Amino acid sequence: MKTETLRGTAVTARVGLALGVTVAVCFVTGLISHFIQHPQPWFFWPTRPVWLYRVTQGAHVVSGIAAIPLIIVKLWSVWPKLFERPIFGGLVRQIERLSILVLVGSMLFQLSTGLMNIAQWYAFKFFFTTSHYAMAYVAAGAVVVHIGVKLPVIRRALGEPVDDETDFVGPTRRTVLRGTWLAVALATVVTAGQTVPLLRKVSVLAPRSGQGPQGVPINRSAIAAGVLRSARSPDYRLTVTNGSTTRAFSLADLQAMSQATHRLPIACVEGWSVDAEWTGVVLADLVAAVGGSRDSDVRMISLEPPGPYSRTVLPARHARDAKTLIALKLNGQTLDLDHGYPCRLIAPTRPGVLQTKWLTRIEVVAS
Amino acid sequence: MRAALVVLGVVLGGYGAVLLWENPPVILMRIVVWALVGVALHDLVFAPACVALGFAARRLIPGTWWPPIAVAALCSIVLVFLAIPVYGKPGMRPDNMTVLDRDYPLGLWISLAAVWACVPLYYVAAARFRRRSR
Repeated sequence: MKTETLRGTAVTARVGLALGVTVAVCFVTGLISHFIQHPQPWFFWPTRPVWLYRVTQGAHVVSGIAAIPLIIVKLWSVWPKLFERPIFGGLVRQIERLSILVLVGSMLFQLSTGLMNIAQWYAFKFFFTTSHYAMAYVAAGAVVVHIGVKLPVIRRALGEPVDDETDFVGPTRRTVLRGTWLAVALATVVTAGQTVPLLRKVSVLAPRSGQGPQGVPINRSAIAAGVLRSARSPDYRLTVTNGSTTRAFSLADLQAMSQATHRLPIACVEGWSVDAEWTGVVLADLVAAVGGSRDSDVRMISLEPPGPYSRTVLPARHARDAKTLIALKLNGQTLDLDHGYPCRLIAPTRPGVLQTKWLTRIEVVAS
Repeated sequence: MRAALVVLGVVLGGYGAVLLWENPPVILMRIVVWALVGVALHDLVFAPACVALGFAARRLIPGTWWPPIAVAALCSIVLVFLAIPVYGKPGMRPDNMTVLDRDYPLGLWISLAAVWACVPLYYVAAARFRRRSR
């Protein structure tokens, strides 16, 4: 069979359908992650199950990587159309071509910047988060327009058999489809180990092996945060405030309080995650110690000099949760300096970037 | 239905364009160039290279070998793409050894070897299957 017949809409529609599913998963999970980090009054994010963000953000990166083989085959299947005559044609044709340009351009933008971001390779000279977020709407919109335009073709193609001839030596369209699913599986296996522990050994191209101090990887190091001296200072105090009520806790004070131990995942926006055992003071106890309300949000301030993530606000729902800890220990050992020594926030269903490390001050926000 | 999809898509995409527009012109230009270079690299470099390779391979390789070789080639391309951002560890910083902490060249070569090892295995299995079903 010639490649002209191997191409065909039967392949395009089926691979396109799978690609559409991965795009939908990426878009929805991406929006979830965005709204956790930029809360809106209408947005509800639960505290249970504790691994919820681990799953949504893991799915974001896994489906984005699965989209790479799919888009390669999808573009291969339609590439000759690029040279179909008339090259320019009338206004309708030009609009159609322009919409395809936007579609392919935005999709390649999302997949390339996303893949580079999980490897922390910032070769592009624009800000990743805002441009990846904005372009997500462009890509999603272009996909929806494309489905709208092609709907009759998609319906027809999905209703027809994949191959028109049988008993044939060499590749058929079925071979193309099976090969595509195989490539998707392979792409997943070689990368998903950074979030799926079972695959850790075989994920040879995952940016994270899952190793790190005390068995947990890090993203921001104590050196990068510039807290080497302040975090180890004997004068260290954790200040907790509620309006005019202020209390200062030394590390010994915190250790003397009632301790709780919980198994909670740390899940990064970059898609890696690990489960760990955290021990420390329940945040709600500290809030109660200064007479804070259970319905108040709580601001976490790091020793790290002011920057995008040196202070974060924890919503009341998470702040009053019994599993939200100001952790002093990780996997049974005193918190490593890179994990936020002397103490850090660890709350269920939150992105790692908001689990503020090297805490110096906790403020109950007036509700 | 179709019209609703197109309208919804245009609204979504329009919102994205508004968000992009908030960037200073220089940054916006870099974003647009990145997207267009991606398209150009695919359409004018990657796709023609694949066509040329496929064209040559079909003349050199007997038909019964094509299916496993074509699939292995696709898998290899995907592996190479996934390896690009990690192979030489361009994003590594000396203060954090928990990112890019694998031997990626070794990983890539092992996975490529595993993929291509499947080609003769598939060929033998397929040949047996054909003989039996005849």
